[in-house]
Amino acid sequence: MNPSQFAAFQHQLNRRTFLSRAGLGLGATALSTLLDHDLTSRAAATDLSIPGLPHLPPKVKRVIFLYMSGGPSHLETFDYKPKLAELDGKPMPESFTAGQPIAQLQGQILKAQGPLTKFGRYGKSGQTISDFLPFHRQIADDICVIKSMVTEQINHDPAHTFMNTGTAISGRPSMGSWINYGLGSDNQSLPGFVVMTSEGGRDPQPIAPRMWGSGFLPSQFQGVPFNSSGEPVYYIKSPEGVPDQLQRQVVESVRALDRHRHEQTHDPELLARLAAYETAFRMQSSVPELLDLADEPQHIWDMYGAKPGDGSYASNCLIARRLAERGVRFIQLYHRDWDHHGDLVEHMHTCCRCTDQASAALIMDLKQRGMLEETLVVWGGEFGRTPMFQGKGGPGRDHHIKGFTMWVAGGNIRPGMTYGSTDELGYHAVEKPVHVRDLHATMLHLLGIDHKRFTYKFQGLDMKLTGVEEARVLHDILA
Amino acid sequence: MPRNWQHFLICFALIAALSGGGCAVRADEAIDFNRDIRPILSENCFRCHGPDSATREADLRLDQEAAALADRGGYAAILPGDPEASEFLRRILSTDEAEQMPPPEADKDLTQKQIELLTRWIEEGAKWSAAWSYVPPRRHELPTIKNPTPAGHWIDNFVLARLDKAGLTLNKPADSVTLVRRVSFDLTGLPPTPAMVEDFEADPSDAAYEKLVDELLASPHFGERLAMMWLDLVRFADTVGYHGDQTHNIWPYRDYVIHAFNANMPFDQFTREQLAGDLLPEANEDQLIASGYNRLLQTSHEGGVQLKEYRAIYLADRVRNVSQVWLGGTVGCAQCHDHKYDPYTARDFYSLGAFFADIEEEYHLSAGDALNGNTLPTKRPPEIEVLSTYQRLKLAELDQQIESLSEQNPTLAVLQKERDDIAKQKTFTMISHGIAPREVRVQARGDWQDESGEIVQAAIPQFLGQVKKVDSRASRLDLANWLTDSEAGIGGLTARVMVNRYWAMLFGEGLARVLDDFGGQGESPSHPELLDNLAVEYLETVWDTKHILKLIVMSQTYRQSSLATSELRQRDPLNVLLARQNNFRLPAESVRDTLLAVSGLLDPSIGGRSVRPYQPPKYFRFLNFPKREYEQDAGSEQWRRGIYMHWQRTFLHPMLKALDASTREECTARRPRSNTALAALTLLNDPNSVEAARSLAAKVLTDNVQATDDERIAFAFRQAVSRVPDSAEKEILKELLVASRDSFEKQSTAGGEFLGIGMSPVGSKLPRSELAAWTSVCRAILNMSETTTRN
Repeated sequence: MNPSQFAAFQHQLNRRTFLSRAGLGLGATALSTLLDHDLTSRAAATDLSIPGLPHLPPKVKRVIFLYMSGGPSHLETFDYKPKLAELDGKPMPESFTAGQPIAQLQGQILKAQGPLTKFGRYGKSGQTISDFLPFHRQIADDICVIKSMVTEQINHDPAHTFMNTGTAISGRPSMGSWINYGLGSDNQSLPGFVVMTSEGGRDPQPIAPRMWGSGFLPSQFQGVPFNSSGEPVYYIKSPEGVPDQLQRQVVESVRALDRHRHEQTHDPELLARLAAYETAFRMQSSVPELLDLADEPQHIWDMYGAKPGDGSYASNCLIARRLAERGVRFIQLYHRDWDHHGDLVEHMHTCCRCTDQASAALIMDLKQRGMLEETLVVWGGEFGRTPMFQGKGGPGRDHHIKGFTMWVAGGNIRPGMTYGSTDELGYHAVEKPVHVRDLHATMLHLLGIDHKRFTYKFQGLDMKLTGVEEARVLHDILA
Repeated sequence: MPRNWQHFLICFALIAALSGGGCAVRADEAIDFNRDIRPILSENCFRCHGPDSATREADLRLDQEAAALADRGGYAAILPGDPEASEFLRRILSTDEAEQMPPPEADKDLTQKQIELLTRWIEEGAKWSAAWSYVPPRRHELPTIKNPTPAGHWIDNFVLARLDKAGLTLNKPADSVTLVRRVSFDLTGLPPTPAMVEDFEADPSDAAYEKLVDELLASPHFGERLAMMWLDLVRFADTVGYHGDQTHNIWPYRDYVIHAFNANMPFDQFTREQLAGDLLPEANEDQLIASGYNRLLQTSHEGGVQLKEYRAIYLADRVRNVSQVWLGGTVGCAQCHDHKYDPYTARDFYSLGAFFADIEEEYHLSAGDALNGNTLPTKRPPEIEVLSTYQRLKLAELDQQIESLSEQNPTLAVLQKERDDIAKQKTFTMISHGIAPREVRVQARGDWQDESGEIVQAAIPQFLGQVKKVDSRASRLDLANWLTDSEAGIGGLTARVMVNRYWAMLFGEGLARVLDDFGGQGESPSHPELLDNLAVEYLETVWDTKHILKLIVMSQTYRQSSLATSELRQRDPLNVLLARQNNFRLPAESVRDTLLAVSGLLDPSIGGRSVRPYQPPKYFRFLNFPKREYEQDAGSEQWRRGIYMHWQRTFLHPMLKALDASTREECTARRPRSNTALAALTLLNDPNSVEAARSLAAKVLTDNVQATDDERIAFAFRQAVSRVPDSAEKEILKELLVASRDSFEKQSTAGGEFLGIGMSPVGSKLPRSELAAWTSVCRAILNMSETTTRN
């Protein structure tokens, strides 16, 4: 029995406990049949949620996480700080910085850096949005901006791991794999968790698959990277010179041989394998179909600002919508160009040109299709940026973890809302701080999962996405 | 107490009968604290009533007998012999949410059966016993069994005794093909050669089997197989792991490990050389290479890393690893607080970390200067320039040959050149070097910025006593000695941890199933006496690894069939009782090795640098500092075994990843075994697989020039799975052959593109569409479950 089956088996044991408690009389044989059946079908398909889930009525069916990798400056996007402008160029008050973790500015004199752009208030809600993000004005009344995010890790790599897995220790499952494990996919021909990384931009920070890894969860729940250009999924194409029909016949022969073996050995693992080969073959057509955007009308292309085959963030946003339509549970788009230690203005222009229009278009497109109410969209990076000046080239900002901004939209999230705030210089989240764990707890809540009860046994512990520290659902942002 | 115990017992008996599992304690069997009670307490109670004093509720701890029985002012939590007077049980049974235990918010519900067990335990006197893994192993008498097997192996006695009680027996022996494949995969990671299969089929006697086992243990591939396990444990990889994930200089360490297993180096010595090779008197080159163990952790060259933060991260990483690998313990859990389930304190965590405070690692902590940082490979002194173990062995072999030749011999020049080439291949490898030890403090809640904690010296976990030290400061060498000393140290535990892993290698599961947690939240062993006796055997033979492996594979328990009736599967789904062997897919490296071996592509040479097989283009495109291209190997290195594959921690080769290989970021004692569509796509479409199919097809056509299609199918099939196909299998493959011929004959290039996959020239002289058609058939054969399953 492999671990996935074992996990399923554990769940069945729980169910069995439930059944016996509920006083249902089930004979041992019937029970075992139930077990065996569920084991194999669970192992064979990814379309089933684990028993007991959802805990609560779900508000959304899926998540699209727009991951702005590198750490976008909250001070040049949504968090306007006029006081910081007043202090521009002056020493940063030590009352803010004393004893705080510092990344690249270690050992340097800390000076305040005023906002490097203008802000306006937009929409009926009067949402504060910087001039770097003109397209966001159109969705000002659709998003809820959280201005009081905090995280615990100040360097990119561990901060990514933290944002994705809730801990900085490598090898823990990512939020997408947790959700995929808990709820499964609605589509048997596509993975339940898809990751896309946009191309373009300058020499950006690296990212690593541990950000979408499944850790100790069974590996079928890990994020599957879809490439924006080239082969869409590794090894998805039949070998050169093998026509589809012949590929089908090879796969069918393998399945026939394995089925024959199963008839002789009754090994349940073979059923899982038969299903895996079937899914593999279906993916060979479903993935190219998904990524063939020829049926998208011109006005949609224009709306996103995407061009066919460019591998851009904009194209990925369009593909994200198609993945959502096809029932993929967790979709994560990485854009990697947000690490602005210097020349922040220039780089913000580049980054926002790549992402502003498409992020807004995705919200509007989901909305016009009636899908926004069943989709949670999250926008943000692994941390924010310092109110202090850093000067690698023109003015820039260092990594900052004590207060930054993200936005969420969809489901029953209250649109047009602002939640929490940082202090007058944008350093510390002072009002209603939102920890990464709170974000995770809220995400799970929207999907109908109680984060406290959503556990998996590992090294003898009941592991949770939200870990052992307190995590709270942000009920205030929910309608 | 408003409870009717009789009524309970009847209900429980019913439920126990229904559950039917083989592992449940039977009504006529005495309660065993460690097996039956401790897991319930640990899972449900210790979180608040266990070793961690900071979160202990009501000043009650249930992990210690005296505390649990203590008078609490007229009553006691547990009153031996009197369940009704035990507050502990009253709280469990209470329906009042305010006093119910575990409290409702803990979301822990005891099953009726667990409550019954706790009740019986108290009735029978509430006996505690020390946590099983910390009790030194001792040799147990062989249990008597109903029907002793003719071969009479003592391992079988323990297994049969338990099967007897369950009314079960060992399965029939595996057939000879299955057995020769099994033992070959298990001991070398490779399928048996056709000759080995033929020989064993002709003479499957016990004597012939023993000879086969001896040959496999003596094979140089044995060391590669054991190293697969070890490298996962110690998280050996070719890259630093964090951020830019640069390559680093460490591969000679892998040669060391392979050689150590091949030479059957006693495990205590193996331990000493890795933890403290540099501290050994007159340390030789191999011992210094071995000390690279302390450099295997993930490190970061990211700009802006904070020195103190990363010192803390590295300390924690080392503590996690040393405790998981040797102690089978999760001391890592005590980084922020005392352990919740085991008697490890936070102080123990930092004291254990202090053993490594002397390791010179300035170059794990600074980024971007000229010497260090974002280069490929990154250079991180202390490093030494060496020839690896196998390079030196090869050199010695060549020297001997050269000496034996006369000066006129024409091969002399060839050998001399080969020798000189190897001698030139010196490479850098990271080693340990002791410097004045850094100060280590207990960090409250794991907070590296909190510098108010107590300064600690290197020490073993307090509840395990004191380490014998040679100097005033306990050293890594003292730690290594303690880990392997069964008298003055914890060698008995280490032996248990290791023999359990060997067992898992040979059965797919350990006797204690959680291979890296022998603590309260792990699982106590299914056959504790057997595990003890194996551990004692390991100690008494002075850590003779090959001896232990041979012992196990010679048993009937090992040699039985893995086929199970559905009745047995239902009765014992996890195969705890061992009424059958297990079957499982091969580890990722062995899947690769099998395809290469079966197809004749395998380069079986031992040792050497990491190799780079085909990998999808641009797979490293999201790496940076620096940007890099993957350069696949152009020579025979292309077809070397999986264990030598370049191990990129972040972007692990997609084949390794799809087949559940570990990224080696952390200690991996047990890999998951999944069965996914991505794995299927890999085996179907990865050029490494397609090339292997072509190579096997070429062998089919060239080795069987006059043969019929039927005979050729049988040949190809037997190459892959060591048996001939039955008529149904033959039919399936024949149909595929016909369809493939048809398909390729229609192509203008007659399968030219298809045959162009992979750089091996094999088959290039054969008729194209015929080779392509057979390649298609061989793809199907290599993709069969059986080809890459160890049965």
